[in-house]
Amino acid sequence: MLKRELKINLKSFIIWTSILIGLFAIVYLVYPSVFNSDNKQMIDNMMEMLPQEMLKAFNMDLSSIETAYGWLKTEGFVFVLLISGIYSGILGSQILLKEENDKTIEYLNSLPITRSNIAFSKILCGIIYISLMILCVGVFNFIGLSLSGEFDRIAFILLSITPLFSSVVIFTICLFLSTFTHKTKKTIGISLGIVFAGYFLNIISEMGTSVESLKYLSVFTLADIRNVIMSESLNLWLVMLSFLLAMMFLTGTFLRYNHKELV
Amino acid sequence: MKQPTLQIKNLTKYYGKIKGVENLSLQLYAGEIFGFIGPNGAGKSTTIRCIMHLINPTSGQILINDKEFKQDDTETKSIIGYLPSEIHLYDDLTVKEMLNYHEGFYKKDIHKRRCELTARFQLDETKRIEDLSLGNLKKLGIILAFMHEPKILILDEPTSGLDPIMQNVFYDLLKEERAKGNLILYSTHILSEISKICDRVGIIKNGCLIKLEEIHTDKSQSTSLVITSPQINEIIRDIQAVVHSQDNTTASLQCELPHDILIKKLAQYSVEHIQIKQPSPEEMFFRYYEQENETC
Repeated sequence: MLKRELKINLKSFIIWTSILIGLFAIVYLVYPSVFNSDNKQMIDNMMEMLPQEMLKAFNMDLSSIETAYGWLKTEGFVFVLLISGIYSGILGSQILLKEENDKTIEYLNSLPITRSNIAFSKILCGIIYISLMILCVGVFNFIGLSLSGEFDRIAFILLSITPLFSSVVIFTICLFLSTFTHKTKKTIGISLGIVFAGYFLNIISEMGTSVESLKYLSVFTLADIRNVIMSESLNLWLVMLSFLLAMMFLTGTFLRYNHKELV
Repeated sequence: MKQPTLQIKNLTKYYGKIKGVENLSLQLYAGEIFGFIGPNGAGKSTTIRCIMHLINPTSGQILINDKEFKQDDTETKSIIGYLPSEIHLYDDLTVKEMLNYHEGFYKKDIHKRRCELTARFQLDETKRIEDLSLGNLKKLGIILAFMHEPKILILDEPTSGLDPIMQNVFYDLLKEERAKGNLILYSTHILSEISKICDRVGIIKNGCLIKLEEIHTDKSQSTSLVITSPQINEIIRDIQAVVHSQDNTTASLQCELPHDILIKKLAQYSVEHIQIKQPSPEEMFFRYYEQENETC
């Protein structure tokens, strides 16, 4: 069953991974020509004009965007967070529900397998593809940066891993929510809402102490890129929290799915 | 005493406040084809979906071979073949890939039976499922339900979409399965099918089981009569008939007496005209659909 799940979800994995890799490929190709000595001063001036809170929100206060690696640490990983988050959200809201939406569940349920087996195969497939996406993008960026110049390899590897935490949690939240309905079109909007609302709350929370508490409402707080840039280490508390949240939503998914009316 | 293979005990299913089935009990035995009939929305599919654990019953139990059939009892699931009324399979696969996928879920080797069935139903394995006609999709559904040689077959409107030739192939297959001692629960609203293949029939209406009949016993006992006689009221009383219509001297009746007793009783009266007809099961079931009280 896992083999079939991997097969039917391969196309969307290739599309979403290609979007990210294509984006980074363009950056590596055009960055040296865009960021030359002529316009460096202009960009520096522009940066100075931006408020400190805005620079902080995009980690531009920690890293310059003079190099491709610098851009990756600031804006680049935001794209990874967002796109892997959207992919994980859509995957989570569809992977289990698709059988009910397409009414193939009546066939699948009649086979000598348990509902937990069905859910496990689909969840495993989702986690494999999310991890594979992060890995593919990481490997591509590693090669791209190696060709572009010097960069801190350890920090890069840690940075590449961080989107995995937020993505897996988004996947499990959407998976859990999908157990409350029978139609995928109802859940896709919600999953995209979780991703975008989470992202904007995270950005706003960086803009001042009065709104700092908003970060606790954002799933992207789990992917603490800022901490990795500053300390070159993962925040173990956030790693554990991600794991606990994922486990909590997975448990909820199994419990709900085992008692769900499938038609 | 013969043990039932499938028992439904006091099954009740409510969708919110709407009744699906109520207090339904049935005992089905190995080696029989049990016809489960009723008009649309009577509760046939709800009962079947409860048996298959697609929906959760409000109360009641399903027992298979005297053991409660739980949702995750994969061993029991492996002896059940299920054909839903509407077949939805994986459109991206070919028939061959679908059958291979199905085979992968069973521990025993079922490839030989699969080949027999595909040849018998003349199904082209190279076609994609999304390109199959309704009839061919039905054939594939039948093959999937039968290919692992199940002991219990639960078939929900299995012949819809099949052409008459394939329907006969299917009826032959059912009779073979019965001869092997397998139980077949056959849900349909096509009444003519019941008399062709079923041994017993359960009639469900408004979520309640209103009648259980043995098809052949019924054939020998129930008689439709049209009698013209000046003593028509005495005749009706004497033969304990159910009156369908009546005027001064003529009545259309339903009588449950054995034929020899009926004739002896009628011989005592002056009868001007008599027409005796064996009601078809279709007519009988149709009457139940129309007559029975709406509450359980």
